[in-house]
Amino acid sequence: MISTEKFMYTPSEHEAEKASNSYIMSLIAIMGGLPLPIINLLATLIFYLGNRKSTYFVRWHCTQALLSQFFLLPFNSAGFWWTISIIFTPETLSSKYIAYIITILIFNLIEFVGTIYSAIVTRKGQHIEWWVIGGLTNLICKSDEKNID
Amino acid sequence: MRKILIELVISVSILLGVWVLLSQVDWMKLFNIEQTTKSTEAKIGDLFWDLLSKSETEITSVSVVSPIDSMLSLICTKNKIDRLKIKFHLLHKDEVNAFALPNNHLVVYTGLINACENEAELYGVICHEIAHMEKNHVMNKLVKEMGLSILISMSTGNGNSEMIKGALKQLSSSAYDRKLETEADLTSVDYMVKAGIDPEPFANFLYRLSDESKNLPQQIYWISTHPESKARAEKIIEHIQNSGFIKAEKGDSLRFEGLKEKVGGL
Repeated sequence: MISTEKFMYTPSEHEAEKASNSYIMSLIAIMGGLPLPIINLLATLIFYLGNRKSTYFVRWHCTQALLSQFFLLPFNSAGFWWTISIIFTPETLSSKYIAYIITILIFNLIEFVGTIYSAIVTRKGQHIEWWVIGGLTNLICKSDEKNID
Repeated sequence: MRKILIELVISVSILLGVWVLLSQVDWMKLFNIEQTTKSTEAKIGDLFWDLLSKSETEITSVSVVSPIDSMLSLICTKNKIDRLKIKFHLLHKDEVNAFALPNNHLVVYTGLINACENEAELYGVICHEIAHMEKNHVMNKLVKEMGLSILISMSTGNGNSEMIKGALKQLSSSAYDRKLETEADLTSVDYMVKAGIDPEPFANFLYRLSDESKNLPQQIYWISTHPESKARAEKIIEHIQNSGFIKAEKGDSLRFEGLKEKVGGL
């Protein structure tokens, strides 16, 4: 699910710290984002916007952290609105709903653990790519020669 | 790009697969949710009835209650509803009102019987309340308006009397939301059709009382608390036409005439 890849240059200590922070930011977002999915996006988006002119390594990992939030956003949102409909409409609690909530909790937990691992590894200056998200980040985030130290 | 799409499809499939697999487990039973809800409902229903029976006069005379009992039995038998679970109570009160309480307590006021011109109208109202019970609208309404935690605390004897009175008032003198009312109306028509009772008088009853309630809104609770009665009556008529019910020339039973006389003489 998460693979360590060789990056096109060796990031500096400062870059590794900033890249690691992008995952830490999304960690906080996951905690707030499960009950209210929009928090996920807002927190990582703000961090991404703040670092979009940073070096390639930092930008790359900020983008990966941002995109990782997009994957679970529709599922978390569906869970959120399903819960709202149970509270405010005639919709009732069912085994299907409980199964759905457990499923998204499992996937959020996997994402949570993956994010912690990413933050630790990136802090060491290593480059890691997530399943699906890594490939997508490579498509979106292009290297800028001027930013490479 | 193709690789990303394949990975994405696999990931989403795994997520949905986990959901489908987990859905096979009966979580409601596993977490004892149904049992807890049922026992809470039973306790709350009995709590409400205790309170109501202390403030109102229940009519227990067999000659008055048995005709309504027979009506209930007919509806239940024809619609495969367990008659024994419904606890019927006839209260001596002039308000035109009937309502369902948790744990299948069905309360009818004598004012409602007096307001009915024929037995089909009374059948309609009773079927409507049974539909609320069968569709679990009663507990749904309470849970949504009061919250499950408050209901559980009430059922364990921790609720204060004002809170219980408030909840009882919610059930006896306020309507369910429009979707639930429509569902109960249409289900009541189905119940009546299956029992061979003409549902049209039920629609007429709504029409008639919605006009009368303009003059005496506080007396005709069942109508004044059920908004848009005319629109509901039209929906009922439409549903009757779709149900293909063939009207049979059948007069009111002598039982109902006798019932009205007895109720009027109370």
